[in-house]
Amino acid sequence: MKRVIYAILIFVLIFGFIKACIRRDTADADLAKSTNTKSNELIFPQDQKTVTIEGIDYLQSQAPIGNFGGTFTASTIGEGPKTFNPFNTKDNISSILSEIMYDGLLTTHPVTGQPIPKLAKSFSISDDGKSYNVKLRHGIKWSDGKPITADDVVFTWREIILAGLGNTSIRDSIIIDGELPTVEKIDDYTVKFTTPKPFAPFVRMLSTPIAPKHIFESAAKKGSQYFDTFLSTNTKPEDFVTSGAFKLKEYIPAQRVVYERNPDYYIINKNGEKLPYLDRLVYLIVGDLNNEVLKFEAKELDTINLQGAKVARYKAMEPHSDFTIYNLGPNTGTLYLAMNLNNRKNDKGKFYVSPEKQIWFNDVNFRKAIDYAIDRKNMVLNIANGIGEPLFTAESLNSIFLNKDLQPYDKDLNKSRELLEKSGFYWDKKGRLFDRFKNRVEFDMLTNAGNTEREAIGVMIKQDLEDLGMKVNFKPIEFNSLVNKLVNTLDWDMIIMGFTGSPLEPNGGKNVMMSDGTLHVYNMRTEKDKNSPRYDFEKKIDELFVKGALATKFEERKKYYDEYQKIIYEEKPFIYIYSPTIIVAVRNKFKNIFPTSLGGVMHNIEEIYTEE
Amino acid sequence: MKEIITQLIKDKFAKIALILLGLMYLALFFADFLAPYTKDFSDRTMAYVPPSKIFTIDENGQLSKPYTYNYTREFNQDTLEMDYKLNRSKKYYLKFFSSGQPYKFLGLIPMKRHFVTVEPDGRLFLLGTDINGRDVFSRLLFGGRISMTIGFLALFVLFPIGLLYGGISGYLGGKVDNIMMRFAEAVMSIPSFYLLIILASILPSGMTSIQRFILIVVILALIGWASFARVVRGMVLSIKNQEFVQAAKSIGQSKLGIIVRHILPQTTSFVIVAMTLSVPSYILSESGLSFLGLGIQQPDASWGNMLKEAQEFTNIIYRPWLLTPGFLIFVAVLAFNLIGDTIRDVLDPKSRVR
Amino acid sequence: MEILKYIFKRILQTIPLLIIVSLISFFIIRLSPVDPLAELRLNPSVSKETLEKESHRLGLDKPIIVQYGKWAKSFIKGDLGITSNGEKVSVKLKERIPNTLLLTVVVIFLTWVVGIPLGILAALEWKTYFDRLLTVLTSIGMAIPSFFFAVLLLIFAVKTGWFPVGGLTSANFTDMGLWAQIKDIVHHLFLPVIVLFTLSLAGLQRQMRANMLDVLDSDYIRFARAKGLSEFKVIYKHALRNAVNPLITLLGFEFAGLLSGAALTEYVFQYPGLGRLILEAVLKSDINLVMASLMMGAIMLIVGNLIADILLIITDPRIRVKS
Repeated sequence: MKRVIYAILIFVLIFGFIKACIRRDTADADLAKSTNTKSNELIFPQDQKTVTIEGIDYLQSQAPIGNFGGTFTASTIGEGPKTFNPFNTKDNISSILSEIMYDGLLTTHPVTGQPIPKLAKSFSISDDGKSYNVKLRHGIKWSDGKPITADDVVFTWREIILAGLGNTSIRDSIIIDGELPTVEKIDDYTVKFTTPKPFAPFVRMLSTPIAPKHIFESAAKKGSQYFDTFLSTNTKPEDFVTSGAFKLKEYIPAQRVVYERNPDYYIINKNGEKLPYLDRLVYLIVGDLNNEVLKFEAKELDTINLQGAKVARYKAMEPHSDFTIYNLGPNTGTLYLAMNLNNRKNDKGKFYVSPEKQIWFNDVNFRKAIDYAIDRKNMVLNIANGIGEPLFTAESLNSIFLNKDLQPYDKDLNKSRELLEKSGFYWDKKGRLFDRFKNRVEFDMLTNAGNTEREAIGVMIKQDLEDLGMKVNFKPIEFNSLVNKLVNTLDWDMIIMGFTGSPLEPNGGKNVMMSDGTLHVYNMRTEKDKNSPRYDFEKKIDELFVKGALATKFEERKKYYDEYQKIIYEEKPFIYIYSPTIIVAVRNKFKNIFPTSLGGVMHNIEEIYTEE
Repeated sequence: MKEIITQLIKDKFAKIALILLGLMYLALFFADFLAPYTKDFSDRTMAYVPPSKIFTIDENGQLSKPYTYNYTREFNQDTLEMDYKLNRSKKYYLKFFSSGQPYKFLGLIPMKRHFVTVEPDGRLFLLGTDINGRDVFSRLLFGGRISMTIGFLALFVLFPIGLLYGGISGYLGGKVDNIMMRFAEAVMSIPSFYLLIILASILPSGMTSIQRFILIVVILALIGWASFARVVRGMVLSIKNQEFVQAAKSIGQSKLGIIVRHILPQTTSFVIVAMTLSVPSYILSESGLSFLGLGIQQPDASWGNMLKEAQEFTNIIYRPWLLTPGFLIFVAVLAFNLIGDTIRDVLDPKSRVR
Repeated sequence: MEILKYIFKRILQTIPLLIIVSLISFFIIRLSPVDPLAELRLNPSVSKETLEKESHRLGLDKPIIVQYGKWAKSFIKGDLGITSNGEKVSVKLKERIPNTLLLTVVVIFLTWVVGIPLGILAALEWKTYFDRLLTVLTSIGMAIPSFFFAVLLLIFAVKTGWFPVGGLTSANFTDMGLWAQIKDIVHHLFLPVIVLFTLSLAGLQRQMRANMLDVLDSDYIRFARAKGLSEFKVIYKHALRNAVNPLITLLGFEFAGLLSGAALTEYVFQYPGLGRLILEAVLKSDINLVMASLMMGAIMLIVGNLIADILLIITDPRIRVKS
């Protein structure tokens, strides 16, 4: 009996093996994929405008009228908020989540990127570019019923921002020649800001939230240590007094943040009814991208940002699913390769970068040769699954300051070889690259471990450079250690990193681009090297950033920032790689969805409504 | 020893497990030869290509030498999708035992022969490719070398330490014992997984892959020695009063000599059981570390870091071939457990080793 | 009185233990090149002044030994310090402990309810086909990398829609009635419990089997059998009681073990427990948080062992004689 079973088993195995070996070559039925892509042409409503009804200056939405009620669920990736005090936030997520509750005087036009009034009724900039007159809305209130007046604005700026409470980054970014701007109250509904010199980026700072004086005043008086813990994540939701469309209802650590509608918000629809339409806004706190997708698939989320292969999946599902996909163009991040141009010594008298490498890295031909060797096209195809665009400029592709004259180009190894030869590099019989002092060209390339995208880019760049005969030791290292190398020990050769940039204000990147910046990655200067000599192109960029900040007209500023992008494009201290495209999916039951590259899906959250 | 083997062969599950593991290690030993490509070979125009289709009956229905077609990849602007199609314009015949990419067998003997390759310009991806267009099948073999040895190596570091530590502590007794055991208990009281990731995260960057591999082995060993030493001490306590130990003492052997030569050999059966049962936990630990990005780093392969890539949602659904490392981990760990269980039942059925 | 003295002695013994644990942990963490401010440093809009302020606040500008002293002093006072984000460590732990406790207790309960009977069965059927099958089945649970199993289950949840995708409560949890709330939590707990359960079942089952074999082989069971007691009585009245005793020791370990073993599972399921908190803290080198959690883990283990030992003394007369 047993033998029979064994015999059958062996027979089945052999049969299976043969079956697996024999495959007939028949042409695939051409799967004509239905390409019924919906056209997602958005017709944007007119801009919101101010209307005055019974002495109250409302902001009126021009979007189609919708139903009240419903919940919109979005997500944030990471650990969740660290504070709900918009003046204490140091990370992006806390900023987003706290600024939902506190409106700023101005906001950014979601399409043009220009500053437009929000909490302010109107604003004007004087001809000399130094003073900003801001008129407030009459009759609008904090969530506890107290009116929002010039006192709140003056208090926020004088006692919090300019006094250096909480996160001082805004304050530090508007110190102009050692002087701070001033604020004064003209009357109850007018405030005047004055900068010591014309300083164009200042207008963007007016989007900073405004705090209710009667709540924040006592905290501000108790000093910075107390203020750091004020309105933390442990504060009871009832204790928030807010001006935004939504107000905190509950915060469950590591799970979600729930907001409820502000019933007395100052934006109204065309019928004069107070917005927002939605009763609730929920942010789920998800740990990683993977979990976010799963939650969207399980319909726990109403919107999601998509990358890479997921886009294809959702695109295919779109026609018979309950969501729509919007392509918002390239994102604001820049992904780059940089070489360490540092030619100084550390405290112990040792060079940060060994002298022979310094010669290579400081040679613009060498940098360009590397640039031409990089296969951006295949990186976009393989790593971003085609959902992205090669990047060559320091400003991101959706920046309003993007220099469009800088042309993209393809990988060109011959050009790389030419450039290397020009600088005296040569190859031996085995194709290995040596410099003119007979040193083998070999260096380390770092990126942060655990980031699949960057690791994959690293693997590809390593191969690209090895095609040129260089020896590249590619080492993904732990994120924190990498940052430590970048800003403290400075002992690295080449890195692959990314920055999130601002598409609206190049001056936001001055910490990266200016030679004394805290993130001047390719040539970090420690305290003692503060006054060390600059490269010519570094000097030029410094100059352009100063000029760009002081100029007041957009066209004039654009000229300076175009110039700086051109210098980076030619000198290649940063070699940009590609920009992923932002693709979002939103459930169809939500209407008045007008996502833009600058504002994302949620910029008009008060206008969004659900049909159910 | 003989009894163990006969028992292993008698037990059906253990037999299957033994055969599986044997085949695995054999394959890993001959990885260079069996893999059609080297570890780092990549064709970037072929990222995420599905497994090659091998045909033995051609389009006319005639029996043919096995051949395959290359895939072509195209980005479809409408669906935003990568389309993979077989390029039927050229057949590539499979070649057995012929020369392909050069490699060094076991890192020493330069060779060119591969078990199976394909004609020039053809691509044979038996289990598809990963994000960088590297052959998953080849990387599985090379990654397996790391994953399947890391546990054993850690044991070879850990066991001598644990044996000696436990032996000395138990034999000497008294204050020394007390201090040594307090220290071991302190190490045991730190939740092991966190200790593991803290240690892994302090690995200096800029190490070569071999250094990193060795240090991970050391770290894995550092986690496990204490509990092992404690059990050994307990056994030594009961052994040390037996006659043969007293006899050795009376003829004036050194303390260390007695511990190493007379006492520790008595713990062999426990050691064997503990060893086979702890190899799988190290294989799993490596995959856990890699999941967090703290294990073996790209471009080196290990089953853990290959699985990390696979665990993305879209990969699980659309690229099931990337899941093979998970399957192999499962099989290897299961096989080790089954063998360990059998050995334990033979040697020491009441053993509390888990 | 004996017991009280014993407990007192044991507690005294744990003090040097805790000092060693804290020293080891502190120095290892601090030796790591990981910079708790890394994220801030890489944010172009964070100014130098802010960074200095942060580094001073966290005491990063002082030598390690001073940092340890500062930490130890406040720890003794019961102050666990603040995280690198400026939140109170004690508050953060308090948020998470109940969740982890819930998960742990459910998992331990389930494993015991299933594992002990399976262990007994295996011991009674020792060396039979059934015994082998049980071992193989429980081994399967141990052989899948837990994070991977968790990911697969999550995808299962998405595909079927039977289970929520991670978390502990639904978005509208606070508006539910009590029953609905309990149901909601059970619904969310289901998948993480399955993963941890399959992970720890095999261990307990083998342990119980070994204990049972040990006891069945002992003199008094042979005696009981010789006396002609029914097999049922022998097993369930005499053998079982003695076989379960050693498992009590295990409880302490299991408790602390789950704290560490659940980290990856909690991480994948986005479960708001301690494991995920500590994991994230370790990766960021958030020293106060990591130290507090490690110390808590150590204390939990020590207390667990202590309770187990005391229970043993009370239940098992043989041990009392020895002590």
